[in-house]
Amino acid sequence: MKPRPGSLDALLKTLVPAYGPPGRETGVRAALRTVLRGVGRTREDALGNLHLHIPGSGPRLLLVAAMDAPGVIVTRVESGGTARIDLLGGRGAAEAIGSTVLFADGERALVAYDRPASGKEVGALDSSSLYLATGYDKTAASKRFPVGSVGMLEARLDRLGDQWRASSLDNRAGAAAVAAAVLRSGKIPYDLHVIFTAQSELGSRGAMTGAFGVEPEMAVVVELAHVGEAKDQSPVTLGEGPCIGLKEHGYIAHPQALEMARKAAKAARVPIQYLVREEGSSDAGAVRRAGPGVPTVLIAIPARKTGGPDSLVHARDLERTVDLVVRLLATPPVPKPVPRARTPRRGGK
Amino acid sequence: MPAARVAKRSGAPRFEERLLEAFSNADGPSGWESPVRALIVGAVRDHVDSLEVDAMGNLVARIEPSGGRSRRGAPHVMLCAHMDEVGFMVTAVEKDGRLRFRKVGGIDPRILLGQVFRIGQNGARGVVGVLPAHLLTNNDMNKVIPIEELFLDIGAASREEALQAISIGDLVAFDTTYESAGRVRKGKAFDDRVGCAVLASLVQKRPPVPVTAVWTVQEEIGTRGAAAAARRVAPDLAIILEGTASGESPGASPEEQQPRMGGGPTITIQDRSLMADARLVDLLEKTAKRRRIPTQWKRPGVGGTDAGRIALSGAGVPAAVVSVACRYIHAPAAYLDIRDPQRVVELVWHALESLRKEWP
Repeated sequence: MKPRPGSLDALLKTLVPAYGPPGRETGVRAALRTVLRGVGRTREDALGNLHLHIPGSGPRLLLVAAMDAPGVIVTRVESGGTARIDLLGGRGAAEAIGSTVLFADGERALVAYDRPASGKEVGALDSSSLYLATGYDKTAASKRFPVGSVGMLEARLDRLGDQWRASSLDNRAGAAAVAAAVLRSGKIPYDLHVIFTAQSELGSRGAMTGAFGVEPEMAVVVELAHVGEAKDQSPVTLGEGPCIGLKEHGYIAHPQALEMARKAAKAARVPIQYLVREEGSSDAGAVRRAGPGVPTVLIAIPARKTGGPDSLVHARDLERTVDLVVRLLATPPVPKPVPRARTPRRGGK
Repeated sequence: MPAARVAKRSGAPRFEERLLEAFSNADGPSGWESPVRALIVGAVRDHVDSLEVDAMGNLVARIEPSGGRSRRGAPHVMLCAHMDEVGFMVTAVEKDGRLRFRKVGGIDPRILLGQVFRIGQNGARGVVGVLPAHLLTNNDMNKVIPIEELFLDIGAASREEALQAISIGDLVAFDTTYESAGRVRKGKAFDDRVGCAVLASLVQKRPPVPVTAVWTVQEEIGTRGAAAAARRVAPDLAIILEGTASGESPGASPEEQQPRMGGGPTITIQDRSLMADARLVDLLEKTAKRRRIPTQWKRPGVGGTDAGRIALSGAGVPAAVVSVACRYIHAPAAYLDIRDPQRVVELVWHALESLRKEWP
């Protein structure tokens, strides 16, 4: 039986394992093009972002979800057939240990590490202690994993009780939610641009240029928020509904956009939590600052980090995130938009 | 085989070594690039369709495609090299005439003691003072003196005397003269005067695609010139020409010693500022293979260039970096192998040739 359009289970199964380390988002881009076929026009831009445009007569609304996943890059191949690596994104060297790395051509290798001197904690390792066990000798390893090869921490989707588990859920869960919302939406009172951003793990590079190119009048960014990242005053809990971002590094909520998100949540009967975090960040800051500035809503799906590469996301939170985004897309624009300074255009008066 | 003969056969312009020599000998610490810019203007003014200096100080030259071809269907390429070099700035003059100074750009403080420098525009020379051995304790001998505690001595006996020769705010450059021995060239500021010379050599011939050549300012203090230039030029793609650090170090394993001086153009896949555009890297690699130009990879994960800034400008620009591997950059004297800049000219030239056909 074919799953109904916008089924999260089907989307996660497609998107979670798709190849897409920062700067090499080929697999996930192709997967997204497939699931979004017929919805609107898609194109790839200079940084590797995937754009989906669903033309409409309303103001330009930008919906953003990062699509890259933590990866590694080979910096040199050593005499024993092992390869030194640098991390591309992710949250520290220790978390990558033991992961399988998948390369674009289907090759695999294992992240190992030089055991630290006694007294030094594994958690304090940096990427210079990591290496890839390739299983090959030097000649073969140099051929199969040449300097500059980019791999992604291999992601497998598992269901544990009510929760999904995979290493790429940050932010494939967000991408799946955005794709589901677009597929489930009816007529939208906006000129809708969706960007699945590239290179978010390297500092929101795709979001920066993507949002600049679209010049949206409002934006919604869907991301993950990890338990423990937020301050004590606003802990994030799995299963209690999506978070609305109030503040994170480089981002503070826009008052009117925030109000719109609150109202949409109420109308969709979606319970929400608030997110205030000092450590983590998302594409929201880059989108918020793009061009002359963009009123931006940050919606973050609660997630649990396990200490390894994996994240856990509650299936109910994911469904509710989709409900919230669908509702937001259906909410007519605020009657009195914030007056905006226009960027001067060539040939203008 | 002499570089010139290879160049003739391939149709690429010839790398003009005299430009490298002149550019290297000129001084241009970040923020005071005008002496270098003047030399570049002289070298390229007869070969380009327009030449201007923008508000930041970048030198911008536009070159229409060869053969009267229209710009349509061909990507607009930004070629870029930075004019500035790492150096110092005079920040204060002591009563006794000694100068206090600060770094401009990234420099290893261990190289400073006893160095001779050129200061400001009037040809003043200074030396970083070293205490005589009999005044040093063993402890002092074994530590690196932070730059705040060092002074530049220009031989002045008082503040007044010093201020006749120099001004506070004067920029300071290494006092090094270009020399050659066999294939090796020695000089200062090869990062990035070699890129400047490669770019000036490239524009001596009209390429088949529209090119905007930009010699940028203030790269070493945060790629500031490139930020402004990229917004203005708004290219379809960018190739950045650099002088980069060779990885050669005695005792290290061979695989750690990449890239090497003399090993051919060094191509960047990824550094702190950039994921090089995969299609552009692929095109460079294919071009090199076809033309039998040896290439090497820059060690991923280290350094950053104007390319990072240009890639993230506007709605994004596909960007790549091609470098000459030099020993001892960001230091008083660097080495390069003169075959390498010629190979960079050839690689970039032939890449430009294939862009019209092979760029989507």
